[in-house]
Amino acid sequence: MIFADLLFLYVFLPALIICYVLAGAADKGICAVTKDKGFFGSINPVKNMVLIVFSLVFYAWGEPFYIRLMLISIGVNYLFGLLITLRKKPSKAFFVLGIIFNIAMIGTFKYGRFISENLNAIGIPVPVPEAVSPVGISFYTFQSISYLADVYKGDVKAQKNPLRVLLYISMFPQLIAGPIVRYETIAEDICSRRITVEDVSEGAFRFFIGLGKKVILANQLSIISEQLLDGEMSGLSVGGAWLGIIAFTFQIYFDFSGYSDMAIGMGRCLGFRFNENFNYPYISRSITEFWRRWHISLSSFFRDYVYIPMGGNRRHQPLNIMTVWLLTGLWHGASWNFVIWGVYFGIIIMIEKYTLLKIENKIPKVFLHIYSLFLIIFGWAIFYFEDLGKLGEFIKIMFGVSGDPAGAVIAKHTFTANLYLLIAAAVCSVPLGALIRKFYGRTVKTSGGAAAMSLLKIAASAGLLWISTLLLVSGTNNPFLYFRF
Amino acid sequence: MAENKQKNAPRYAEKKKNRAKGADIAYVAAAAVIFAAVSGAMLFLPRSRESVLEQRELAEFPEYSREALMDGSYTAGISHYFSDTVPMRDRLMEMASAIQEFTGFRSDNIKLHNVTLGENSAEVPDETAAVTGISVISDGAVVEDTIPESAEETEIPAVTAAPDPAVTQETAEAQSDDAVNLTNNGIAVVGTRAIMLYGGSFSVGDDYAAEVEKYKNALGEDVNVYCMVIPTSGEFYCPESISAYNNSQYDNINNIYSHFTDVIPVDAYSALKDHTSEYIYLRTDHHWSSLGAYYAAGKFAEAAGVPFLDISEYDKKTVSGYVGTMYSYTQDITIKNNPEDFFYYVPKNVELDTTYYNYKLGEGNEIIGMDDPIRSTFYIDFSNSKSMLYCTFMGGDAKITHVNTSTKNGRRLAIFKDSYGNALPQFLFGSFEDIYVIDMRYFTYNAVDYLNEHGVTDVLFANNAFHATTRSTVTYYEKLLTQGRQPTVPETSETSSSAAPEETPEITSSAKTAVPEEKPETSSSAETAAPETENAG
Repeated sequence: MIFADLLFLYVFLPALIICYVLAGAADKGICAVTKDKGFFGSINPVKNMVLIVFSLVFYAWGEPFYIRLMLISIGVNYLFGLLITLRKKPSKAFFVLGIIFNIAMIGTFKYGRFISENLNAIGIPVPVPEAVSPVGISFYTFQSISYLADVYKGDVKAQKNPLRVLLYISMFPQLIAGPIVRYETIAEDICSRRITVEDVSEGAFRFFIGLGKKVILANQLSIISEQLLDGEMSGLSVGGAWLGIIAFTFQIYFDFSGYSDMAIGMGRCLGFRFNENFNYPYISRSITEFWRRWHISLSSFFRDYVYIPMGGNRRHQPLNIMTVWLLTGLWHGASWNFVIWGVYFGIIIMIEKYTLLKIENKIPKVFLHIYSLFLIIFGWAIFYFEDLGKLGEFIKIMFGVSGDPAGAVIAKHTFTANLYLLIAAAVCSVPLGALIRKFYGRTVKTSGGAAAMSLLKIAASAGLLWISTLLLVSGTNNPFLYFRF
Repeated sequence: MAENKQKNAPRYAEKKKNRAKGADIAYVAAAAVIFAAVSGAMLFLPRSRESVLEQRELAEFPEYSREALMDGSYTAGISHYFSDTVPMRDRLMEMASAIQEFTGFRSDNIKLHNVTLGENSAEVPDETAAVTGISVISDGAVVEDTIPESAEETEIPAVTAAPDPAVTQETAEAQSDDAVNLTNNGIAVVGTRAIMLYGGSFSVGDDYAAEVEKYKNALGEDVNVYCMVIPTSGEFYCPESISAYNNSQYDNINNIYSHFTDVIPVDAYSALKDHTSEYIYLRTDHHWSSLGAYYAAGKFAEAAGVPFLDISEYDKKTVSGYVGTMYSYTQDITIKNNPEDFFYYVPKNVELDTTYYNYKLGEGNEIIGMDDPIRSTFYIDFSNSKSMLYCTFMGGDAKITHVNTSTKNGRRLAIFKDSYGNALPQFLFGSFEDIYVIDMRYFTYNAVDYLNEHGVTDVLFANNAFHATTRSTVTYYEKLLTQGRQPTVPETSETSSSAAPEETPEITSSAKTAVPEEKPETSSSAETAAPETENAG
């Protein structure tokens, strides 16, 4: 199941909300009887069960077969957690075995085809398996790795109750598209969370914002990028190439960050506080800064579990940087363009380290923004085209080496037909929320201002929900035209 | 002052906190009400069963099986069912179209939909190609077995024969080819007119011409074979600025005609070009208008040397409020907001006796059989389901139509056509004694046998330029020419007893109703086309 889907919005969510509220009442009853001790050291055991059941249904809906793989993975990681802490001193052997297990799993199921194809290409005949790549495997495997690492480092205690590990890994808001939540972030919430009305208010609003980002902005922008980038390269003009890739630049941001907003929002409503995953990446003044603002849970994962353990900036830093970026690229997909994309950023970041970052303050900000955006957009071109031949053609068009001037008319009409959408996308890429909050913080001092802000929030939520719903309905348009000609 | 402020600080904080909490409660309550209301509407209002807009029946709840559950198709089917059958679907779609208009503005009053450039590229979205299980919407007003007062139903023995697997396969290929490969470069909405941009090329046209020529060779000297390739509106109304995306239909038609040696080309092109200031094409639909068909039919009559009734010899019938297929495809609200008149012509002084041989279509739109022939009227009333007004002519495509007219001149015409051809016969009733209308996608007999048996004197191929340069069209015509050549022993069905009246054509022979499991690609509007008398003159 995905969030931007009518069945999820209007069947799954209402059912979950009703069950969760009832479970909350049950938990209250338990707490009253047990004098706030709860069951099994948790004051919300019933809510946890409800959440587990809904999460498994959520996952099985899209991956009815490979849910067994996720369950096996969770079971094995639970055991490794216990094995690592069997004695007083954490067991390095079991930790390493656990990591190998996770890497082997993701290597088989996500990269098996890629690896064997490339082995065949260099003359080593191995059978090429079907590409399966179960939904969310990159996310839940990474969460498992972070769990084992944190247990091994002693940052958290190994969880003895397998259901809580199951809940941690499989919790549906973050299960299939992140953010990559660390166990320590929510360890306490799992056993004893209290949900305030502020949590629900902020969480629900965040959810509607995320839904709007995904359905209203990202999905509409995808129409532009698909039209311009998915066709024959031969008909594309220079302007069309830029329009297409800029549309994709916005699209991927609103798609991914919208998804994260929905996850964080729902998590908050359910009583969990996930860390932020995006922080207005497109206002960055360097690529280094961009990667501190983009998919934060992933870059911090690589920082904490790869870069620093390898020696960070103390030992062979260039090697560490390149390893991290090679892995970052590969994480995004089993294809060479992602590898190139990762290495591309690795190189830029390394160069920035010795040049730009030392003189950043002396350069006018506007140049830094242009520099960063250019490299980011160019990066998305590498990201977009899995076919390297097509990528080469596209880059040539981008820089005017080739390109069909006749295509300019399409670019022009596509541009004007989506101008307001593109402006909205640009506006929503800057910290508008922070500005509003500033404003909100000032005006809330008068009760009239607070009421106005509340009304505005309500109206915005209703509008976002309604427009998103309409667009989701319209997305199922499937006219029967060509068959009738 | 400072002291005072310090003192009050905690109270301020307290107050502010309470106010914030109140705002949160208000927001949560409002959000809950809104969400519950929309959820309630989505869950408990009656689900949509069909989309008039998209002219299709909506998804069914999937059937459970363990395999379907394990491969994910069962749950995916439920998700699809839920979003496809959303309550008030067409209305919500319309609102979404209106919203999508706010993404920008139209420069030069043009909006492009899926316009791309490529060599003869096929820009039909995948999901369109993947559509199966479509049947037509019945508006309830008309049911097939309604017998209009003026007509009596006649039954004709059905004949069956084993399907030819080779034919079946070929047709399936042709179908998928057609679905993905119509020579279409996208749709442009220019002002309030939607035009399909043409992507045809010479190579397929060459084969099309050769195929039509094959018919002439097979039919021999005594039968005149004509070919009319009909330009579509894009040829005349495409703005210069986007002409790069619109190949020349003129060049392609000329190319086709240049290959004919014995086939007589019909210059519909210049007939239409001379009248582009008139209403010769529909704006909201991909078809031409009856007036356009009138001018083209005149050219044909001239070529065939038959009498031709002036337009003053007809009663013009008009149905207003027509919004055709171009809206359902583009979802362009400009089209929806600018409906047009659909009009057709009924001859004043010609008697018509129309018989339909309707094909039964299966869920995948494949031919699964043939109904008993029905005598009815040529014009079918679709004023109650306006998006389908073009089906006024014969009720659609999936059938063979025979019209016997009061014009007694011994000329018998067969028209092989796509849906563009449906608008032609109305102007030829004063020109021919019998007219057989055959859709290239729905015909299970051997074409030459059929034409010979019915004593056809003139054969007209009437295809629009898109179809004349689409590979599957050639495949269809080849199939019609080759199928059912080896006669098998006819097996009469049980219902064969009732006698056929004299006027109805004799369908006796050999292997005629071979029922291949093909999947022809047109909508079966025919199915519900009701014989409701409009005016049979």
